[in-house]
Amino acid sequence: MKFKDYYRVVGVAPDASLDAIKNAYRTLARKLHPDVNKQADAERRFTDLGEAYEALKDPAKRAAYDQLRAGGWREGQEVDVPTSSRSFHADDAGGVGDDGFGAGDAARFSAFFQSMFSGRGQGARGGPGRQAFPRRGEDIHHPITVSLEEAYHGGERQFQLRVPQIVASGGVVEVARTLNAKLPKGMVAGTRIRLRGQGHPGPTTEENGDLYLEVELAAHALYRVDGRDLAIDLTIAPWEAVLGAQVAVPTLDGQVTATIPPGAQAGEKLRLKGRGLPGEPPGDQYLVLRIAVPPQVSEKSKDLYRALAKEAAGELQAQVGA
Amino acid sequence: MDDPLPIGEIVIATRSYSLSQLCAVCGVHAERLIALVATGIVEPTGTHPAAWRFDDAAMHRAQKALRLHRDLLLDLHGLALVLDLLDEIDRLRTRLARAQS
Repeated sequence: MKFKDYYRVVGVAPDASLDAIKNAYRTLARKLHPDVNKQADAERRFTDLGEAYEALKDPAKRAAYDQLRAGGWREGQEVDVPTSSRSFHADDAGGVGDDGFGAGDAARFSAFFQSMFSGRGQGARGGPGRQAFPRRGEDIHHPITVSLEEAYHGGERQFQLRVPQIVASGGVVEVARTLNAKLPKGMVAGTRIRLRGQGHPGPTTEENGDLYLEVELAAHALYRVDGRDLAIDLTIAPWEAVLGAQVAVPTLDGQVTATIPPGAQAGEKLRLKGRGLPGEPPGDQYLVLRIAVPPQVSEKSKDLYRALAKEAAGELQAQVGA
Repeated sequence: MDDPLPIGEIVIATRSYSLSQLCAVCGVHAERLIALVATGIVEPTGTHPAAWRFDDAAMHRAQKALRLHRDLLLDLHGLALVLDLLDEIDRLRTRLARAQS
């Protein structure tokens, strides 16, 4: 059994008053709550904090803990936990504390806590009347980043989760688990994909929570994304803008031919309907026109340009603020 | 370490929950959820509790609200503000990430 230094977790001296412990706990709980703190280990740290608070806020538990601690144990050291001669009341096992501050789910506390404070009734969440009915296992939310191509075509992904599992002794350990997930087509930023029953364990497997994958789109070198719409910059030559042209452009579904209308201006957006991310309705792909001038031209070209300049003098001239 | 699990069933989450179904999912009595709706923390469709339907987003928001209420002792009005601010932070983070990419 690995010793846990509860005073260190809460951040108080071993002789701290109960009020000091309560205040320290509340301040940390606000910072570490997984709904507020997005770091990967927030949930584990919050559970650790809840466990430390449960142990220290009850004078009887604190006394038993202090007695063990007097042996000079440090965090992580292997220690034999004495079987407690008094059985701690099931209500003390965790869940909503008497001051209303929830300590997280007692069933997730460490084996060290479970042995110190008697194994009886540890899995139960508080006493009668504290819960409406047995809870379904909680859901797990896991962000995944997908490329635009995966979002468009769908794909397969294998990834690892650390999930709690109830072991024979009734305690809870974290196991690494590998999951294969098929990703559907037509994902956008914020799409949730549900894997039934892969969340936290419930009282039965039917009542396991679900695993929700929350999709984030990776930035793409070529496409900009706005909801289901995509945009790319399309650079064309001046004569293509003037005369119009057929241009090959990439889409997520392969190359298509886009028609540039005559008289196209820089900054104009051409819309390829339905070529964005799939959905009801599918998004569009926009081509944002840029007109580039060739950096070097032959003498012959220059002559042609000069002739053109003379011819087209009336049609367009350099202007400020146009 | 477990063997890789078989390919999970994927469903794009579009379920809708009635009030009693949401109570079962969240493990609370109806009064608690009715209070969340009254404060505007979750917004079901439907005109009265028997006709309410909560979508997946509302379900998650309700669960989040209940967790924060339980764990941080936030009262309902404080909770409403906290949830809105957390959403705003998420939106800003996304925009920032896009702008930096």
